[in-house]
Amino acid sequence: MGPSLIDVLIEYWPIFLKGTLGTLRFAFIAVFFGSILGAFVAFARLSKNAILSRCASIYADILRGTPLLVQMYIAYFFIPIVFPVLNKVDKEVYVLISLILNSSAYVSEIVRSGINSVDVGQSEAARSLGLNASETMKKIILPQAIKNILPALANEYIAMIKETSMAGTFMLYELMYTRTILANKYLSWQPLLIIAGIYLLLTLVLTALVKKLEERLAVSD
Amino acid sequence: MTENKIPLIETIDLKKDFNDLQVLKGISEKIYQGEVVCIIGPSGGGKSTFLRCLNMLEVPTSGEVRFKGEKLDPKDTDIDEHRQKIGMVFQQFNVFPHLSVLDNITLAPILKKKLSKETAEKRAMELLKQVGLEDKANEYPRKLSGGQKQRLAIVRAMAMDPEVMLFDEPTSALDPEMVKGVLEVIQQLTDTGMTCVIVTHEMGFARKVADRIIFIDEGIVAEEGTPEEFFNHPKNPRTKEFLSQVL
Repeated sequence: MGPSLIDVLIEYWPIFLKGTLGTLRFAFIAVFFGSILGAFVAFARLSKNAILSRCASIYADILRGTPLLVQMYIAYFFIPIVFPVLNKVDKEVYVLISLILNSSAYVSEIVRSGINSVDVGQSEAARSLGLNASETMKKIILPQAIKNILPALANEYIAMIKETSMAGTFMLYELMYTRTILANKYLSWQPLLIIAGIYLLLTLVLTALVKKLEERLAVSD
Repeated sequence: MTENKIPLIETIDLKKDFNDLQVLKGISEKIYQGEVVCIIGPSGGGKSTFLRCLNMLEVPTSGEVRFKGEKLDPKDTDIDEHRQKIGMVFQQFNVFPHLSVLDNITLAPILKKKLSKETAEKRAMELLKQVGLEDKANEYPRKLSGGQKQRLAIVRAMAMDPEVMLFDEPTSALDPEMVKGVLEVIQQLTDTGMTCVIVTHEMGFARKVADRIIFIDEGIVAEEGTPEEFFNHPKNPRTKEFLSQVL
């Protein structure tokens, strides 16, 4: 059986802490840059230009329709081959890129449905006052859509915290990677349960926070 | 109205299809400056679609809309310039819920007419006073009743100093006790000589304020005339039938 959970936690807590921070960091980077990219994808999907809209839609379908782990492997092995310039770049970056791209596909759907949730009468009223399409989007649609988008983005962050566990496969220092480290110290079951506990704690706390956020946004309706 | 003057709004053989459904089957109308035109007719007859074509919110399938002799083109950037001069009021008010009453009104004048915030707000307060909403200036629309929202929507359109106002069933979504207040505001406007095109089911109101009634049924203008001609001596059997149901 080996040492107890408490013993392992007391002895190796700095490793778990570093792993947790790594997980939070990777998830944040993925969702942050994924949001920026995803917003552009969403605008492209909503564009009147049929080709642009179709391309964005295919992009999102591919990234949402294939497993993240497969995308990571593809990024890990193919980016250096296709773009030899990037050979000197840390391999961590490839994994991060695949996380960002994957997140952008989900965020694009969030932003798109957020924009679509705003009543069409709002944009008609704005256009009838003489606002052009981009002014209407900036001043009227987005400020209203953001109420639906923000909680969904926070949920995407929570989902991404779990998704990043796959980055450990590529030696990125995040929570799941601590298992690999501690396996070298002949610890098998203890790290797994601790890791699961930390993931659960993170998602439960963050989910509670999102709920608070949703309630506050709902009050201002 | 003299025929040699350029109409403020002119439609030429205006047609609009929604998929297989032909909603407007060719409407040619002229609306002159200072005229108050009420559009009435059965639901689904094309009244609102016709009105929404006048500022290109609905893009006609064929035919033209001309504003002061210029053809409106929804793809042209000028369309935004033209729309500034064509105010519109909607059945569902469409006030901006995330902006205060004052900001609802000043948004477009500041953005499009490049008015200073101060000037725009001063003008907005004058307009709010005219419709009895000056004490609501800093409230958000959710605190307003339906009638107050609609008066706000009218004032918001007026703040752009439009040359014509389009009303799309402005009282249809209101509780009965709110209707009068909104109609009074519209009448204030027509009294000042504002050109108005009003789609309405309020027959008494149409009779009172209109210079001309246009009866649209099944996508065509089935009959038109002065309120007196239209209500007292309708010629078209469809008009007679409609009036017998609503009066």
